Amino acid sequence: MTDSISLPIAASTASKARLASRHAAERRFRIYGLLAVLFGLSCILTLFVTILTGGYNSFSQTVITLDFELDADNIDASDIHGSNFRTIVRRSTYALFPDVTTRQDKRTLANIVSSGAEYQLRDFVIAHPDRIGQTVTLQVPMSDDLDQLSKGVIRAELDESERRVSDIEISWFNSLRDQGKIETVFNGTFFTASDSREPELAGILGAALGSFYTLLVTLALSFPIGVASAIYLEEFAPKNRLTQIIEININNLAAVPSIVFGLLGLAVFLNFFGLPRSAPLVGGMVLALMTLPTIIIAGRAALKSVPPSIRQAAIGLGASPMQTLMDHTLPLAMPGMMTGTILGMAQALGETAPLLMIGMVAFIVDIPGGVTDPATVMPVQIYLWSDSPERAFVERTSGAILVLLAFLVTMNALAVILRKKFETKW
Amino acid sequence: MSISALFIVFALLILAGALFQKTARRVLAGFLPGAGPYRAQSVRARKIKERIAVVFLIGCSSIAVLTTIGIILSLVFESARFFTLIPITDFLFGLQWSPQTALRADQVGASGLFGMIPLFAGTLLITCIAMAIAAPVGLMAAIYMSEYASPRARDIIKPCLEMLAGIPTVVYGFFAALTVAPFFRNLGDANGLAISSESALAAGLVMGIMIIPFVSSLSEDVISAVPRSLREGSYGLGATQSETIKQVILPAALPGVIGALLLATSRVIGETMIVVMAAGLAANLTANPFAAVTTVTVQIVTLLVGDQEFDSAKTLAAFALGLVLFFITLALNVIALVIVNKYREQYD
Repeated sequence: MTDSISLPIAASTASKARLASRHAAERRFRIYGLLAVLFGLSCILTLFVTILTGGYNSFSQTVITLDFELDADNIDASDIHGSNFRTIVRRSTYALFPDVTTRQDKRTLANIVSSGAEYQLRDFVIAHPDRIGQTVTLQVPMSDDLDQLSKGVIRAELDESERRVSDIEISWFNSLRDQGKIETVFNGTFFTASDSREPELAGILGAALGSFYTLLVTLALSFPIGVASAIYLEEFAPKNRLTQIIEININNLAAVPSIVFGLLGLAVFLNFFGLPRSAPLVGGMVLALMTLPTIIIAGRAALKSVPPSIRQAAIGLGASPMQTLMDHTLPLAMPGMMTGTILGMAQALGETAPLLMIGMVAFIVDIPGGVTDPATVMPVQIYLWSDSPERAFVERTSGAILVLLAFLVTMNALAVILRKKFETKW
Repeated sequence: MSISALFIVFALLILAGALFQKTARRVLAGFLPGAGPYRAQSVRARKIKERIAVVFLIGCSSIAVLTTIGIILSLVFESARFFTLIPITDFLFGLQWSPQTALRADQVGASGLFGMIPLFAGTLLITCIAMAIAAPVGLMAAIYMSEYASPRARDIIKPCLEMLAGIPTVVYGFFAALTVAPFFRNLGDANGLAISSESALAAGLVMGIMIIPFVSSLSEDVISAVPRSLREGSYGLGATQSETIKQVILPAALPGVIGALLLATSRVIGETMIVVMAAGLAANLTANPFAAVTTVTVQIVTLLVGDQEFDSAKTLAAFALGLVLFFITLALNVIALVIVNKYREQYD
């Protein structure tokens, strides 16, 4: 019986050809699947490479070393804020190229140094009032265009009409570089300043703090409310119509476009309750409503994963439902809830559209000091910069994206670690 | 500042409460009578306390419902005010969108035109482009990961693809506006095609990339939910793996896949930042993917960003658009949910 039975169909050439074509179809299908996966992965790669190559430049800044003569004519020691630092900076800049005489060229020459130089000089004088009357040597940022030239973003080999920097500026730049006056240093301003119209003076600290205050409000509202809702729906709610409505409603809320939450915030929080515009308080409230479904759904899943035997044992020993919850179920479900909350916060950190609706899109130079101060957040700052015409803001935008992504990666990694560390297999 | 201080104190209290709840309760328990004639009373007190706690929990749960009610009420209320200024038929069926209302009554071109058809046509065009990319790529990736990839490869590919879902939309918008759109424009220039630098193609493509992990992970869940017996029956009849997938698994998983695609579509329709940054502002009624179109979400943002008086038709129009957007996405979600639930009943 175990002898091989020769199958007549296997011998037919037609069937062999059919089989070969079916196997070819199999291979093709498999390749399509692989191509789809590779397409997705290459999108990720392209995105990251684009942002990284565009963004790492924003962490450096081209500076020029200048000698400033702090003469008493221009500096009034009793009124430093009213002193004329612009003239001092101009004079030092003109001194670089004494042979420049025409008005137009002089104006161009004055602009190779950032307008932030005078404020840097002022801050220096405030810190060292004893230096008035002496000549000091300081490194001050160059203008954004020359910074871009130095980084190779503006290419000198192009025709003069096709680039933002004129030939004479390039010749000055080359001569200064040969004299060793130009250096590229770490761009500390980017991490310590707030928004500015000048790319070389703009930083993300204001937006980062705005994001921090906004998320603080979001966390303070959505974590307790979300956890309480999850507890009620999972542990206490009777299985009736009302509970069902709440459940369906939460699932639908998770799919409502974020911009609609912005409209809600505008109509209810700003116009009805009259809360301040552009404030992290309102932004945080809107984002809390938005992240609530995420936290509730994660919280319920965490509570569901606690085995019923734990509850039964507690109840059997005479604990009340609330005692069972507070002493046994909730502590066991907490890691899962925290993971969900962190993911919800990461989602809130990247959200832009609803915040545009409630006015967090304003140009804000001051660093916010609290939840009611006007502020912007990091994604909105990215949006604002990406809209700016200056070439140097493109790299600042990429730089801000890198910082934002770093925060997001940290938060997601934290969630993964938390899950791994407290994961209990029952 | 005082409010902010209050908030920080509030947050700290919650944190402290969470950290020290056990200790706090033990300290409090020392003061509570635990035995003797007081016992009955303490049980009653406990019951009252628990009642209060449950009421608090119900209150928190109702916030989600209140949010929905708040959304509907605020949208309907503001839209109603809009429809007293502009007839509802003009809004629903008008073919022109130019919301520039006049500052003075006697100004030329004083009446803004609020026909939403071009906006929805633009949204539809971008959605079609996005889904034309996300649906095949997402579905094939899901099939590959659930049927072909080794578990180890799957463990690497899946989180990598899901990274796409974690990237903020403003980053995609930046990518679309500064990398993809100029790329298409230059490609068009090289081939003698007029591709706008705000083309629907660029916005749709990037939107499609964004939604790939959404489609793939939802479809993967659906595909792996198809019972093993169906697969094995098909293999037993001599079908190859791809034949099994195409003729047995996909038909069985079809309702779930359609549900997933509908959910993805609703995501794309409501997506804002990519189109705000990469799509146009002028309302064009066109089906040309190389032209610039505008979408509902872009117009909501354009109408509301900046300082405006709150009673003008221009501002109120944003709420009317929001209302329509809300109902379209809601309808898509409900349909998707119904389809998915019906499908589940078949196999469980």
